[in-house]
Amino acid sequence: MTVFLQNCFAGLALGSTYALVALGFVVIFKSTGVINFAQGGLLALGAYLGYTFSNNLLLGFGVAIVLACVTAGVVGAGFERIVLRRMVGQPPFAVIMITIGLLFVLEPLITAVWGFDNKQVRNPWNIQTVEVGGLVFGVRDLWTIGLTAAVVAGFFVFFRYSSLGLAMRVTAFDPEAALAQGISAKRVYAVSWAIAAALAALAGIAMAAGPGGLSPSIGFIALAAFPAMIVGGMDSPAGAVLGGLVIGLAEALTRGYQDQLFSWAGDNVSVIVPYLLMIVILLIRPYGLLGTKDVRRV
Amino acid sequence: MGKAHRNLVRDYKQDLRLFGSPMAKAGLALMLGVLLLLPMVIQDDFWLSVLIYVGITAVGAIGLNLLTGYCGQISLGHAFFIGAGAYITGWFGGKLGLPLVLWLPLAAITGGLLGAVVGPFALRLRGHYLAIVTLGLVFIGEHIWRNFKGLTGGNSGTSINADLSLGPLDLNRVELAGEVYSRNQGYFWLVWALVAVIALLVKNLVRTRPGRALQAVRDRDQAAEVIGVRAGRYKIGAFVVSSAIASVAGALFGAYQQFVSPDEWNLLLSIQYIAIVIVGGLGTVFGSILGAVFVGALPALIDRFGDAIPGVQTSVGGEGFISVFALNQAIFGVLIVIFLVFEPRGLAGIWLRIKAYFKSWPFSY
Amino acid sequence: MRGMITLAVAAALLVAACGGAGDKSGGASGGTAGAPQSTAGFDGTTIKLGVLSPLSGPVAVIGLPLTAGNKIWFDALNAKGGVAGKYKVELVQEDTQYKPDVTVQQYNKIKGNVVAFTQVLGTAPTLAVLPQLKTDKVLAAPASLDAFWVREPNLLPVGAPYQIQVINSIDYYLTEGGGTKDSKICNMIQDDVYGEAGLAGLTFAAQKYGFSIATTQRYKTGTENFAGQIQALAGAGCQMVFLTATPSDAGKIWGTAAQARFAPKWYAQSPAYAAALAKSPLTPYLQQTTLIVAEGTEWGDEKVPGMKGMVDGMAKFGPGQQPDYYLAFGYNQGRAMTAVLEKAVQLGNLSRDGILEASKQLGTVSFEGLSGDYQYGPAETRNPPRVNTLFAVDPSKPFGLKSVKVNFTSDAAKSFEFQKAG
Repeated sequence: MTVFLQNCFAGLALGSTYALVALGFVVIFKSTGVINFAQGGLLALGAYLGYTFSNNLLLGFGVAIVLACVTAGVVGAGFERIVLRRMVGQPPFAVIMITIGLLFVLEPLITAVWGFDNKQVRNPWNIQTVEVGGLVFGVRDLWTIGLTAAVVAGFFVFFRYSSLGLAMRVTAFDPEAALAQGISAKRVYAVSWAIAAALAALAGIAMAAGPGGLSPSIGFIALAAFPAMIVGGMDSPAGAVLGGLVIGLAEALTRGYQDQLFSWAGDNVSVIVPYLLMIVILLIRPYGLLGTKDVRRV
Repeated sequence: MGKAHRNLVRDYKQDLRLFGSPMAKAGLALMLGVLLLLPMVIQDDFWLSVLIYVGITAVGAIGLNLLTGYCGQISLGHAFFIGAGAYITGWFGGKLGLPLVLWLPLAAITGGLLGAVVGPFALRLRGHYLAIVTLGLVFIGEHIWRNFKGLTGGNSGTSINADLSLGPLDLNRVELAGEVYSRNQGYFWLVWALVAVIALLVKNLVRTRPGRALQAVRDRDQAAEVIGVRAGRYKIGAFVVSSAIASVAGALFGAYQQFVSPDEWNLLLSIQYIAIVIVGGLGTVFGSILGAVFVGALPALIDRFGDAIPGVQTSVGGEGFISVFALNQAIFGVLIVIFLVFEPRGLAGIWLRIKAYFKSWPFSY
Repeated sequence: MRGMITLAVAAALLVAACGGAGDKSGGASGGTAGAPQSTAGFDGTTIKLGVLSPLSGPVAVIGLPLTAGNKIWFDALNAKGGVAGKYKVELVQEDTQYKPDVTVQQYNKIKGNVVAFTQVLGTAPTLAVLPQLKTDKVLAAPASLDAFWVREPNLLPVGAPYQIQVINSIDYYLTEGGGTKDSKICNMIQDDVYGEAGLAGLTFAAQKYGFSIATTQRYKTGTENFAGQIQALAGAGCQMVFLTATPSDAGKIWGTAAQARFAPKWYAQSPAYAAALAKSPLTPYLQQTTLIVAEGTEWGDEKVPGMKGMVDGMAKFGPGQQPDYYLAFGYNQGRAMTAVLEKAVQLGNLSRDGILEASKQLGTVSFEGLSGDYQYGPAETRNPPRVNTLFAVDPSKPFGLKSVKVNFTSDAAKSFEFQKAG
């Protein structure tokens, strides 16, 4: 039982990270109809910015997180403003490829500035643990789960009660009607990119603050967050969170019981569990657990 | 009636000809001639191997363009089928020792079969979903390659010693009229001959009924169904053919490199193919070849002349802040963005513009 | 218009076309005495050596220090006059990005300009160029401790292979490390060919010493979350875990284990360690639990002649380089390649055939305490060193490691048989 609970906790911590990244995907998809492949690059950028603020400029860790999120947000909004705005009205496929282009530019830039070697981010969590009733919880993991919960709560409040949040929902629902009401679609697009990049940065720092430190491969996690987005439903923020947690749990449990239950499926099968789960869900519910079914018109 | 102007097309049938004008025919023949002579001129093994990899990439890109450019289905799973082709070659060509004329078609058939198995599942989904599901295929494929040790050698990889002879001709050491040609030269001819054959096959496919059906599906799939095109069937057909061609590319890759490991068939490879198709131009066969040349030769050029570019570090302890590879990747990314923003029709679009300029010369505007 | 241009190009090509390129293996064949004739990669004064290494990409963490090690060795050698006191050595470096296909291209790019390759980094890239090495009759030194290389005449390995590292560690654990045959001995490996080498060593040791491996956990490089594997190891009650990893993953693995308060005896393969680990929040945990199996002596131990030479060379020719095992490995490769070149000069033939012949006639090469002596010669009779040194983490030492047991060989390691690749 302890092992099971411990695996569940690991799954939740992993799932929270997926959820943050997937939430970023959903924000952009919902308002602009684009899947942002560069999310992993923005995540790495945010983590390295956090490293610079915390280690080189010796700012407090909390300040470093906020600054990194803001800077990443500015980069995200800037990219939208400079490049993607020219693509309004182009097929979504073209825009996806542009985000892949951005990923290809970000990766070498990050390694050119910060190098390839492993960095230790100065942070208050490190490898501390708390023990409750025989279960051991990493402080970093608890913070990741807590931060994710806080961000998600803040997110829903923002969408429900702020005028900008309302503008974003309206634009996602019907861009032309929103425009007719005087809502600036440009502003909405830029804000969604800023939010997505900031979320990615937050996820990045939370990961980098962990025991292993920070290396350029940190951005790979975004690939595993794709299934989280699909499982939850591409246009549902709540779905992204749910999907993230489901995928995280599934991955951690498969990993934990690999030897006992999954040895027939080959070594290290947990790596592909997110994708398998995604395919199964898509075959049963093509629009995801909480997504809206789209109506196709000729 | 006087001689018609070279641009004149009198009926629809004429417009659909495989080789438009006599001029185009001549151009094509000359292009083939150049390919035949090129390895004799460039004897440098570096450039030959670059051009061989370019040719292999061109084969795969033509296949992907059929699916993405003509049928409008975005697949990120190309790397899976390329890997499959390489391993199949290791099995039929290496372990069973079948000759080239057998292992190459067998690779194509197996790739097509795999496509037929995967296609119906994947193609239930549209647009974004298809892209992400095929992305999953790459990861699941990698898992299979790492665990299916009998075929792939697992993590240790497998060496591929496929036979490379065409009848009396051994491509490892071609002897013609008293001259001996190296393996790189021989393989260059094999690869580029296949590029020509596959380009012709696909070009022929897309100008006929199935090709028009594919384009109808791409532009409006439901409208296409209304006028009697079985959209699902054509999508799966395109997927199968594209997988078979990818598998041929993989077979050529494996047989040339003689060793493959599961680390090679990753998402980056798939994305690279998509980028080639875009840079070259969606929905043109010639564009795929141009894209492959461009994307394959550019890194080689930067690599060769990296010393002359300021800020590039070419050796340990040398000057510069960015490595050749990093610079390549960044340029690659910038190119994708620039092409999509400024020339969505890709290199083929630029080519068409140049052609149009000279066609109407001296009345160009 | 277009036709005209193509026609002109084709005509130009026809004129320029001048037949085949086959049969161009370096033609120099000097006598057994006298100065070697110039040949591909040797102009009579300077010997050029190729380096195929990932200078960018994730594996650059390994490629950069390793290549720096090559460079420090040859710079120091050149300062003393060069090979045989008169021929300077120049390195031709190419970036492989750790990709087999790029490695093949780069190999083709420089093979005509070099006499041999003093570094080809990685198991997969080496296997990818091996067929061509054989047809071109070129000698290359693989930067990888895989056991495959020992029996390949075209390769010039150095150091005790990974498998030997594992076997020696197990021997130590069972004799002095407090373990018995009934201890739960486990394995954690990265899911690629490097990990397989670790597993092969442990499997051999398990047969020899009569224990069974309680569990083998695999992970994919670049994984961010190791909680599942650590839980599985803890769940299986592992008392000793042998770890085959690279530093960035190893750091995460140990960190996750520390967080889970899982503290078995960790024995880790030499490439798993990096100096940064001795200055991290993990250090106390590592001091308690971890031993690193590597070769030679403590960094900066000047009693060992080889170490003094390397540290001096580093200060002179590689200022700014941090102490690093990969650097030491590259340095050792330089020494082995120099031994081959000296022999070839002695035989008066620096052509490809001459160098292969020299590597065959080469006797035992001593690495002055940096690595075990390697008995070269024809591939069938080569005998790699089977000595290892165990280190514990100690932040007060220059490289963060202090030796626990120096240069020991187990009987099991002596009986390990080496086979060819594939």
